[in-house]
Amino acid sequence: MSNLSKSLIDGLVDELEPVKTIKPTAGLLVAGGLTLTAMAAVATALGVRNDLAMGMADEMFFLRSGILLMLGLATAFAAVNLARPGVGNLNRGWIWALATASLFPITAVIMSLINTPPVEALRPTQGMLCLAVSMISALGIGSGLTMWLRQGAPTSPERAGWLVGIASGALGAAAYNIYCPFNDIYYIGLWFTLPVLASAIIGRLVVPKLIRW
Amino acid sequence: MIANEETMRHLMVKAQGGDKQCYASLLAECEKWLRRYYARKINPSAIDDLVQETLISLHRKRASYDPTKAFLPWLAAIGRYRWIDSLRKIYRHDHDELYEEMVADPQEESVSAKVSLERLLGMIPEKQAEVISMVKIEGLSIAEASEQTGQSESLVKVNIHRGLKKMSALIESE
Repeated sequence: MSNLSKSLIDGLVDELEPVKTIKPTAGLLVAGGLTLTAMAAVATALGVRNDLAMGMADEMFFLRSGILLMLGLATAFAAVNLARPGVGNLNRGWIWALATASLFPITAVIMSLINTPPVEALRPTQGMLCLAVSMISALGIGSGLTMWLRQGAPTSPERAGWLVGIASGALGAAAYNIYCPFNDIYYIGLWFTLPVLASAIIGRLVVPKLIRW
Repeated sequence: MIANEETMRHLMVKAQGGDKQCYASLLAECEKWLRRYYARKINPSAIDDLVQETLISLHRKRASYDPTKAFLPWLAAIGRYRWIDSLRKIYRHDHDELYEEMVADPQEESVSAKVSLERLLGMIPEKQAEVISMVKIEGLSIAEASEQTGQSESLVKVNIHRGLKKMSALIESE
């Protein structure tokens, strides 16, 4: 061993303090806590959809909520597990969740080809609100996840970027979802897909720079 | 000689708890392991710097080691990350292509799997581990392994197949 290595090791040993190992569940709690906070903010600022407030929500609301939350949870789980490098941390369940979530836009496209939807079905004004609120929520959730990942040692920053982006986009959309009163497939296929897609791209571009170590 | 997986894992767990003596031993072993790891990857003149950078990363990121998992794959992942990072600094203009290529390299995954081979062999039935070691690691023929272990040739083949399948499942579940 060279003298330089030996003195480096001596220095590192001197600095040693006990550490608590990183637990991915803590990262999931961060994502979950921020999602609940975003939902509370949406409920306070915009309110909740009328049928939900009356306890008689439409079945499409439950389908949409379930799929967005499942996608967000599966991708957040895969993302936080990247904080601990090692063999076999594949966690590919998120791919199936993403495939399931893509049923909404795929169905919307197929239905559009069969019956051209009226332009008003796309509701651009309300859709822009959906996109904006979902993205603001995603920004908060994604920032929290990124900060949490920084304490770990993610060895695949690009993959982590995609996952953080998809997770925060899906959870952000799930937060707005409690207000959104629309149930038709055209609206959901467009305006609930866009925040996930945009957030995924932003995550891929921004997150890797922030989590390199 | 470099300490084995179990010893290094034990030292790392103690180091996470603040045991300086174990940490000093661990870092000395890691230094040797990393030298060998980088020997076939980079210019010999750059090994010293890279080993030292990796030891610093190990120190900074020691909380990211999961004590229930194998240690050497974790060290290999840290080492590989620092190696790719050093190449990225050299070839910054080619960063994205280079990085994705390295991360996606299945050969690198197999390197990580190999370092935990010893531990995995300890987790499958002895008869299966025995014939896998003989045929897949030492390079003996099926007939030679059959003669040495007293298992029939077909049983040797079955045990290799079942053992490898179990080891794959163990790697996936880790």
